[in-house]
Amino acid sequence: MTDSRALAVWAQVAAHAAAHGQRPSVADVCAVAVSSAQLSGSWVVAARGTDPDFVMCVTDPVSEQLAELQLTLGEGPCHDVLASARPVLAGDLGDAESARRWPAFTPAACQLGAGAVFALPLIVGAIRAGVLGLYRGAPGPLSGRQFGDLLILADAATVMLLGSEHGDAGNGDGAALDGQAPDLALHRAEIDQATGMLTVQLGVPVAEAFARLRAYAYSQDRRLADVAGDIVARRIRLGRDPGQDGGP
Amino acid sequence: MDTELLSDTFVELADTMVADFDVIDFLHLLTDRSVLLLAAGAAGVVLADPRGELRVAAASSEEAGLLELFQLQNDQGPCLECFRTGRPVTATDLAGPAPRWPRFAEAAVRSGFRSVEALPMRLRDQVIGALNLFGAAPGGFDAADLRIGQALADVATIGLLQERNVRRRETVAEQLQGALNSRVVIEQAKGKLAERLSIDMDRAFKMLRDYARNSNQHLTDVARDFVDGATADFPPPARRQPHR
Repeated sequence: MTDSRALAVWAQVAAHAAAHGQRPSVADVCAVAVSSAQLSGSWVVAARGTDPDFVMCVTDPVSEQLAELQLTLGEGPCHDVLASARPVLAGDLGDAESARRWPAFTPAACQLGAGAVFALPLIVGAIRAGVLGLYRGAPGPLSGRQFGDLLILADAATVMLLGSEHGDAGNGDGAALDGQAPDLALHRAEIDQATGMLTVQLGVPVAEAFARLRAYAYSQDRRLADVAGDIVARRIRLGRDPGQDGGP
Repeated sequence: MDTELLSDTFVELADTMVADFDVIDFLHLLTDRSVLLLAAGAAGVVLADPRGELRVAAASSEEAGLLELFQLQNDQGPCLECFRTGRPVTATDLAGPAPRWPRFAEAAVRSGFRSVEALPMRLRDQVIGALNLFGAAPGGFDAADLRIGQALADVATIGLLQERNVRRRETVAEQLQGALNSRVVIEQAKGKLAERLSIDMDRAFKMLRDYARNSNQHLTDVARDFVDGATADFPPPARRQPHR
């Protein structure tokens, strides 16, 4: 069921980019996130390890201030997302829990006009690419449907971030992914297992293995899950040298 | 029913939950014990991802054919029905005529199973997943077994949420995503270890789990450290002091 839902969400991102005559980027993901979940603004922060590192894009000035505020204070939903590797859904910044959790961030965010802040991990297992932050002026929870769509958008942003960082690794299999619909396959354990296997086969960190797996599937015009299945079954392996990919 | 095994199991699960514990390791223990207690062929905990997908959090075996049976249920099968209705779903003979879920039934029979049960994992009005039990013989599980099965599904829910009294629906969503990401970390670690030592995924999982238990660390932490680590050696050469 996810395949069609993910495709529908992706089509919105592609349409948003096309309306601006550009190839889809993380900024389009942010814009679609805001409109699809009826929010006020959104931002993406890149991670270094378990800490937010720098602000990559924002949809509006308040989002920019909310993102920068957390970096300055060293606390907030984005920090918690990276530390815990799970979403932080603060549907009401006026409640006691928010005040207790982020004593400095919460009053400052309210001052800026945020009633609710949501932060979703741009994380795949041990890979931490960043955080998708969102806010709404009025407090209130996300619906289940909105949350699901935002998770799919976060997946798209993660693939884009890691693809642009590692996709052009220069080993012949690094077809750039941006501009193409990311293969947000129905979740399969083989994709994660294959990623782990590639860290050894290619001798690269896990984030790069993730991008190289996708770039390889794209360059072969094959589905990610199928390529991952072949790697796990040891029918194909990727080599450290360009000419070596493919054969058993 | 072996009442001694039953009481031992609940003592063991409760013992785990009073201390700090790894949620995936806990669910794995629960599926293992479900198989023993209910004389099932296999068991798995399947969670509902808000992306619109059922995902395996833990299974009694990491064998690919079994994982495929959970995966298939995104299209059809007892877990999908259980998740949609919030009620237990049974099939007593998967090899019988006119199966309810043809593709699922065929794959299950091919893997050596004839009966299946999906028991809902509920939190108040919300269904967060299902405990899926497979039997090798037709006929399925009897009523006494199913009561115990449902108790195990309830324990799985409590363990997963790690809080007995979750007030906010949002907390449930946060915990669920955290558990699903832990599972991804473990899959990445299995892949790295399997490639490094030329072993299969099931064996890699057991090595990671045994090392975590023996060094008194969370399975997810061990897996993450190994995936993040620059070396492919396992057990890791420079062992951290157990911090829990």
